[in-house]
Amino acid sequence: MDETKSNTTPGELPLYPQRDLSYEFLGLRFENPFILAAAPSTDNLEMVRRAFRAGWAGAILKTTSVEGTRVDLAYPMMTTFTHEGKRLFGMGNIDLISEHHIDKVEANVRQLKKEFPGKIVGASIMAGKKEDWQSLVVRLTKAGVDLIECSFSCPQGNIGENPGKMLAQSISATETTARWVKEAAGRVPVSIKITPHVTDIVDVANAVKRSGADALTASNSIQALMGVDIRSFVPYPQLQGRSSYSGLTGPAIKPITLRTIAEIARHVEIPILGTGGASTWSDAVEFMAVGAGVVQYCTAVMHRGFRIIDDLTSGMAHYLDEMHFGSVTDIHRKALPHLADHDALPRHTVRSTIHEPLCIGCEACYLACFDGAHMAIDRGPGRVPKVDWNRCVGCGLCQHVCPVDGCIEMTLHEN
Amino acid sequence: MEMTQQQANAEAQRCLYCSDAPCRDACPAHIDIPTYIAMIRSGNVRGAAEVVKTSNALANVCGKICPEEVFCQTACTRMKLDAPILIRELHYFATRSEARSGFSARRTPPPATHTAAVIGGGPAGLGCAFELSKLGISVTLFDAKEPGGVPRATIPSFRLTESELGDDLRFLADAYTVRRETVTPARLSSLRKEFDAVYVSIGLGLDRTLGLKGEHLQGVLPVLPFLESAKRGTAAVPDRVVIVGGGNVSLDAASTAKRLGAASVTLIYRRGEREMKVWKSELEEARRQGVEIRFMTVPVEIAGTESVVGLLCRHTKLSAEKDASGRPIPVDVKGSEFMIRAECVIIAVGQVIGSDLAREFKLTKKGYIAVNGEFQTSVRGVFAGGDAVAGEGTIVQSVAHGKLAARAMQRFLHDTRRASRPGHV
Repeated sequence: MDETKSNTTPGELPLYPQRDLSYEFLGLRFENPFILAAAPSTDNLEMVRRAFRAGWAGAILKTTSVEGTRVDLAYPMMTTFTHEGKRLFGMGNIDLISEHHIDKVEANVRQLKKEFPGKIVGASIMAGKKEDWQSLVVRLTKAGVDLIECSFSCPQGNIGENPGKMLAQSISATETTARWVKEAAGRVPVSIKITPHVTDIVDVANAVKRSGADALTASNSIQALMGVDIRSFVPYPQLQGRSSYSGLTGPAIKPITLRTIAEIARHVEIPILGTGGASTWSDAVEFMAVGAGVVQYCTAVMHRGFRIIDDLTSGMAHYLDEMHFGSVTDIHRKALPHLADHDALPRHTVRSTIHEPLCIGCEACYLACFDGAHMAIDRGPGRVPKVDWNRCVGCGLCQHVCPVDGCIEMTLHEN
Repeated sequence: MEMTQQQANAEAQRCLYCSDAPCRDACPAHIDIPTYIAMIRSGNVRGAAEVVKTSNALANVCGKICPEEVFCQTACTRMKLDAPILIRELHYFATRSEARSGFSARRTPPPATHTAAVIGGGPAGLGCAFELSKLGISVTLFDAKEPGGVPRATIPSFRLTESELGDDLRFLADAYTVRRETVTPARLSSLRKEFDAVYVSIGLGLDRTLGLKGEHLQGVLPVLPFLESAKRGTAAVPDRVVIVGGGNVSLDAASTAKRLGAASVTLIYRRGEREMKVWKSELEEARRQGVEIRFMTVPVEIAGTESVVGLLCRHTKLSAEKDASGRPIPVDVKGSEFMIRAECVIIAVGQVIGSDLAREFKLTKKGYIAVNGEFQTSVRGVFAGGDAVAGEGTIVQSVAHGKLAARAMQRFLHDTRRASRPGHV
């Protein structure tokens, strides 16, 4: 395949300067905050090369294991969660770790570091026994890896004593295993990839911190059942009449990830690699604003290709200019001071205001309020609804069902 | 009409973001369409405008009047699913938004290694000058008038506003130095010595005539001076106007005559609607203005003694034979003469090169400047492009033509320098 034709503008002379987006994180120099998550896109040397050439700052190579580890894949493994015509609003997979064992991955790390010394080459690992975890770490370290990520949270299960359960669902196992890894890693930063499927994410984050590991990757895919064929009753993905739970990724899980990152960042002092549901540059801004230091992409790349990096870097650069920010680090944690527990929220009188010139008369707000809120919107002349402020409590439902940007606003009123 | 942010977002979301996108190949300037549409979708509208402008120097002009039904949108994959993406409108949305909020800072061009003269400030000249400046070649642009070419002189302001063209010229202004002068054949010789390379983009500009009886009568107007005076605001039309010709320029003239207050405007064309090579938007505009279009009609004689009183016409039928354009040749139907009463006849049947400079070059059979595959004319060091080479084309084709010529000029300058190095044979 002609590589230049598929991903870049052939021969067009650049007209605009490229803004420097580089910064330090975990003692490493990232040329921008966009890296590839451990996934199919990072399982092949040629693909990672193309990603690096396209402008990605780094990649976490797909999770590897010691030689002899059985990786028994089942196909087909991908499913879409199509919402009202929008394909891959969420993506489900029943993939496992890489079929490439450490011998192959350590060679890939060496090769990539040789060809791309300025890129961040990370590797993701999974093992059962202490000596396996540590041997993976030692071999990757010797190969020159920049960052080691430990998958404690693959929804399809772990290797080892309790294969059906995710390691990161056990506080003690998380702490013990993370300690093994960090012991062997020495100065190479270690990040533990965790799951939001726990009772209290802060407990897990604290366990990782106690272990001495350097960072957390928050968070992995969400265990999900992607759907059921309502005629054959075989759920998706369908493998000759059988199915299994999938790991859900993509835009659908972004709000869950944001909450996970924010909750860790508010309570535990530990660097966070954000991942899970980011697809645009503005998603990265949000991830960083709630505490991520770098943002990993996967589903968006599987959907649209490595070329999305052009918009990620361009969009981020223009955003920084617009905000008069000197660096992406200026975004870091900017949203956290605005987050509070529910009992600490202000209690003001809020009312719905319809900007009538913008109203197109669909009466969606009327219906939503009539059947789903407080019956506070009346049908008005010319199909422009009227809010009855005596009944309106200011819940905000009408604003969000309105199809016109900026038509309904929640306004503050004196008590 | 410019899209709102919400409309642009919704339309951008329909884009399939094809790999190796056919729309990009169909665009003469090869704008990276899927990338700018993805940027609109992500809210990076400034980035989208930058992608457009990287490939097309006349971004606002083309965003407004490029015939998308001829180029990008004919190739849109989405068409096979439902309807093509409104590519031009998204382009226009992005570049207008950037023009309003201030142009993005550009990278410093490489230090100038060579100089070039560009003769003619129309789309081809501007496209070439801009690309040359990106290549580190210092450009002096010669034009008797203010740069802008056809878009400034004759495209009616109801299709292209002053500000749309003005924004593009403002954006391009620091890519060249303008010299307001008419380049004569003698001056061309001196420019060849003064500059390392010369690009000739003099356009066409002289209306073809019909060669019919009565063409000298008062009230018979060539279309270009008519459109120019209309744009200057000095044109006046009588009650009844007939336009001869079936191209976009004739439709512009017809719509303009109607807007100037003519009670009846009739456009005659010798073939049928199917054979008419015009843009849908132009035809729709003419019809909206109430222009009557008479197909299968040819002019025979312009009637009148001093002034025009009418146009004698004849009906045609299409023969089985086809011409070079692949369209059937119309033949007159004997005895079918009829008169269209009018006080003004506007002739819009194509153009030839108006500038004296054309005589300096070998010309093609059709009378255009002949160039080789590297845009070189018969005169060494002189390149040419745009309508003077390719015949009447669209603005985007001319911009692309100029861009390609600039690359060829750079290759020429590079080779010349190598060849002139001491010891090099």
